[in-house]
Amino acid sequence: MKKLVGKVTEEERNEIQALFERRNGLRELAQVLTADNDELYNRLVNDMGENTTLFQGWWNRMSKKYNWEGTEDGHWEIDFKSCEIYLLTP
Amino acid sequence: MSEESTKIKESEGTWQDGIAKTITFIVTKDCQLACKYCYLVGKNEQERMSWDIAKRAIDYIFDHESDFPEKSVIFDFIGGEPFLEIDLIDRICDYIKVELYKRQHHWFDSYRFSFSTNGINYHTDKVQAFIKKNASHLSIGITIDGTERKHNLNRIWKGEGPERGSYIDVVRNIPLWLEQFPGAGTKVTISSADIPYIKESVLHLYSLGIHEVNINVVFEDVWQDGDDALFEDQLMRLADAIIDGGYYESFACSFFNENIGKPLDPERENRNWCGAGKMLAIDSAGNFYPCTRFAAYSLRSKRPIIIGNVYDGIDKNKLRPFLTLDRLTQSPQKCIDCEVASGCAWCQGENYDAALSPTVYQRSTAICLMHKARVHANNYYWNRLFRKLELEGKREDFEKNKIDVKPEIC
Amino acid sequence: MLRYLIVLLDDTSTSFCHYTASNKEPNLISLDILRKAIRWAMTENLTIQFVYPSHELLDEWNETIETIDHVKIKPATAASTSDADVVVFEGLEAIDMPLSKRDVSIVIRTRMSDFLDKHDRLHKLLAQANRLNVVFTDVDSFADDDQKAYDEALASLSLVVKNEYVNNHPVQFNLLTDRIMLTEMNNCGAGDSTITLAPDGQFYVCPAFYYDADGYPVGNIEGRLDIPNKQLYRLQYAPICRRCDAYQCHRCIWLNRKTTLEVNTPSHEQCVVAHIERNASRRLLEAIRQEGEFMSGTEIEEIDYLDPFEIARP
Repeated sequence: MKKLVGKVTEEERNEIQALFERRNGLRELAQVLTADNDELYNRLVNDMGENTTLFQGWWNRMSKKYNWEGTEDGHWEIDFKSCEIYLLTP
Repeated sequence: MSEESTKIKESEGTWQDGIAKTITFIVTKDCQLACKYCYLVGKNEQERMSWDIAKRAIDYIFDHESDFPEKSVIFDFIGGEPFLEIDLIDRICDYIKVELYKRQHHWFDSYRFSFSTNGINYHTDKVQAFIKKNASHLSIGITIDGTERKHNLNRIWKGEGPERGSYIDVVRNIPLWLEQFPGAGTKVTISSADIPYIKESVLHLYSLGIHEVNINVVFEDVWQDGDDALFEDQLMRLADAIIDGGYYESFACSFFNENIGKPLDPERENRNWCGAGKMLAIDSAGNFYPCTRFAAYSLRSKRPIIIGNVYDGIDKNKLRPFLTLDRLTQSPQKCIDCEVASGCAWCQGENYDAALSPTVYQRSTAICLMHKARVHANNYYWNRLFRKLELEGKREDFEKNKIDVKPEIC
Repeated sequence: MLRYLIVLLDDTSTSFCHYTASNKEPNLISLDILRKAIRWAMTENLTIQFVYPSHELLDEWNETIETIDHVKIKPATAASTSDADVVVFEGLEAIDMPLSKRDVSIVIRTRMSDFLDKHDRLHKLLAQANRLNVVFTDVDSFADDDQKAYDEALASLSLVVKNEYVNNHPVQFNLLTDRIMLTEMNNCGAGDSTITLAPDGQFYVCPAFYYDADGYPVGNIEGRLDIPNKQLYRLQYAPICRRCDAYQCHRCIWLNRKTTLEVNTPSHEQCVVAHIERNASRRLLEAIRQEGEFMSGTEIEEIDYLDPFEIARP
């Protein structure tokens, strides 16, 4: 089930969209980079960790700010076009 | 509560439309098909891009980051048929990813790999492995022209002997494609002989599960007397079918657009339609072009416009005419005065190819009557649809949820 | 509107502009074509500019030329320049040659590097001549690194020009005074106000289009003048130039075509050179005014760009 539970500002949308893009880039790069490229590989691992922290931080910050409805077994989604937040439950 | 869940909804229109740089690799000039309307007059099996040329092009572009300030980039792969060179493409994309990251290039956080394919090799292991590896950065369009009859009218296999249509070889890959790219749209090209099949073709594509059908008439001067009337008739029939069948709720066809068919303000709406010059295309010889349409294999009667190469870089002087082009300067008076001008498109390459002198500043008006016919049908579509929605009390809902298809012209 | 017809009397006629009249052997225009050109100019109300080679013409040609009012453009190496309206010198060394007439217009064709090194040689000429045109033969290779040196060369020449004006000798020097005198664009006009007839009997947009391998004819004297996309030679159809105020710029159609592939679009180099001249003209105007009233009502605004491409992009 999908339910509209809120909306973020365009600036806030841009922030998570940039993090999302970077996360996808890092994940797909990880399939190409091998551990024998030490320097780059280590940078990638660090960046992925940092990205995850920032990503999670955004959801924490926003859910606190807007006090979105949530459930134990559900998760939120953002529509990048409309900036709307949806609650998805099984 | 899982919070790490972000859905990207971006199927409508082109990704980062207008703010992304498009860099096109013409990886091969070969194709399995010999489509009758194909503007590529110089297709061949010899001109395949080498890894050395591709790498030099990427290195040049990344070495000159300040010359490419656009926030985002679309690396576009075309042919011929690009997936004939899937090994090279895979190597190019891997190199791009690593180099962007290594250089901390601003495009690492905003890039896409884009393909226009005939769909024949879509299911092959190599193509599928590539899709899996780059899933979140891909945009793939498969060209299917409509019903089997319509598709096979133009999109035939290359070679001697009796004509053999390619419909069956493409349509088998549509379910897989839509599964992997649910919001994907297809591009349909209409030339004179296709007009009677427009309605059935669009409806057929909807029935295959394709929700966005981007159609345009060819820009070349191929139209016969009476084609505009036939075209208008087909579009009216299509309008009725879409409205009566309720397809407008979740399907879109680019022929029908609320914004077309209005006069354009000479001051405020003077921008060039085409993006030639803002794009960059590279061919197998390492030459740079303002758009693929300016490469020799695309031109019937003019010399190619080469704006540089991977060895010497871009000659910025040769980009100046493209970057300062505006609508009024290239348009004849009848277009400037036209009361239904909005949405009337042009292709800078075709303008150049058809011009009386070697210039990109002479707008071809071969599609004039076809545009006017489209405007008539378009007016009919919206007037009828809005009236129906108002009578049903659904106008507001429609406005909120409507699918907005931006015209794709190339 | 067409106003001038340039007639190249020979394949070796002198260049008086940016192009080089090269790779041609002597080949005099036929009397038949010459007569037709004169007749056509009369019917179209055109002023003819005859461009001469170094070698003498035969009497019959000279007599035919005199049947119409005209301007003579001759190389300084011609056997006689006494009747020339415009005399063309090749390089700054050549200007030591004696001039037979003070009111002749002088054209000096030079490479930019020579000009930067030897512009002092113009001092004497500026004191003597009524009109001096310096034309660069390599504008397309002007580098951004040359800007300062060109600016300084013009500043140095400005001092000389200012003194001439203060001493009541208002010499016309294209690089510095044309911009002061003009109130609107006054460019070469090729394809718009000016057309060229070559010895082969064909029309060309300008002489460069006859000599250049990439050039092309636009009709012939036997048939008619037919310039495809004629509008593109007009200022209104040049997106960069139509909003530019470097009024003295040649806006060389041939250089446009050669460097940007479009006749209506100037190269970065052509724009920068013209704007350095524009700005030097502005400073010269101010300097002359410090000595007394001069051209009241004429102002050249201060601008912060050298290439109007920066403001022309839609």
